[in-house]
Amino acid sequence: MSRGRALVDCAWVAAHLDDPHVVLVEVDERPLVYRLGHIPGSHCLDWHGDLQDPVTRDLPPPAAIERVWRRLGIDAESTVVFYGDNSNWYACFGIWLFRHFGLEDVRLLDGGRQAWLAAQLPLTTEEPPENVAASAPAASALADHRARWEDVAAVSEQGVQLLDVRTPAEYRGDLLTEPGYPQEAAQRPGHIPGALNVPWDVSVGSDGRLLPDDELRAVLAAHGVDVERPAITYCRIGERSAHTWFVLHEILDAPDVRNYDGSWTEWGSMVGMPIELGEPRQGA
Amino acid sequence: MDAADDHDVTATAETIRAELRTLRAALTQIEQAVDRLPQRKVKSHRGERHRPERYYRVLVSVYERGGRHGIAVDALGAIGGEHGYDRRGLGGFFAGTRAPLQQVDGRVRLTAEGLRLVDRYLHELAS
Repeated sequence: MSRGRALVDCAWVAAHLDDPHVVLVEVDERPLVYRLGHIPGSHCLDWHGDLQDPVTRDLPPPAAIERVWRRLGIDAESTVVFYGDNSNWYACFGIWLFRHFGLEDVRLLDGGRQAWLAAQLPLTTEEPPENVAASAPAASALADHRARWEDVAAVSEQGVQLLDVRTPAEYRGDLLTEPGYPQEAAQRPGHIPGALNVPWDVSVGSDGRLLPDDELRAVLAAHGVDVERPAITYCRIGERSAHTWFVLHEILDAPDVRNYDGSWTEWGSMVGMPIELGEPRQGA
Repeated sequence: MDAADDHDVTATAETIRAELRTLRAALTQIEQAVDRLPQRKVKSHRGERHRPERYYRVLVSVYERGGRHGIAVDALGAIGGEHGYDRRGLGGFFAGTRAPLQQVDGRVRLTAEGLRLVDRYLHELAS
């Protein structure tokens, strides 16, 4: 992937509103903002209900993803464009999930809702009909994009960079969660030993758009990230880290990046897992 | 500067003051008129102050337009204006221990309390 392939802007979306091969999907941290107004023709996916298993703490099974794809009208010819609130925080989780299940042409509207509103482009409250695709692609989980806790535990032997994309206060262990997310706390504060702290939002400009490639590379290097080396990203529940996965894998074409969706709520709650507190070690 | 110049400056200052008084009175009347407009009733929860719908609309606009890094201070003035607030009336959003807005690195962001109020408003709209 690369920026030209993975990212679209508002003008591109506006020009493709009537394109039957383009499927627009809004994923918000607060799904109810979709009802205030959304890009005409866009569908809403609720990350609570559509993008995770409703019972087991896990990704949805392939059959559930195929049902979502059919509902959205996705077929083999589709270009799927995600966007959302909060600088595309949850939209990137949707992209990561669809890519994990093998969908190829999945893109992000740079800046998300924020950019569309800033451009004063039209919104509607009318929800599109559910398109039942005659032949949705088969969903099959790939091993390339997802890391499990066992992979994380083995990083030091494999030379993989571990990127903690939460806020510095969460990383140091001063807070269990960012303020406003008390429901997403782990049993212990801190970070996984050896992880770098690379807050996800360093890649986002004040207008909500991603920084240009050279600035992205510079800011990541300033946080100690080597884009060419394998990396695993994590945060609290795997959505912020999906954003950093998107930046590295889809925009900067980093060769081996996986998202640990179990993230800190899993690692920081499991019995016997090693934890570090405080600032990153020099040279980590 | 002679006596005639002094007189001119004093007269000009008095004219400006008089115009400011007129403007302040007009702004107050406009604010009162906006408050009288029919608005959706946002239920007061126990122990919470009743606030007009436009109060919540300002918070939702900051949420939607600010993204992760929040909005510029000037943009808040514009958002407030869209919802009938005079720029001077926006200070209340930053006041108190349960203020819904805060300034971080020169930008305006929702506090945890502000996010809670946004959630409450969105749920009431949906119900």
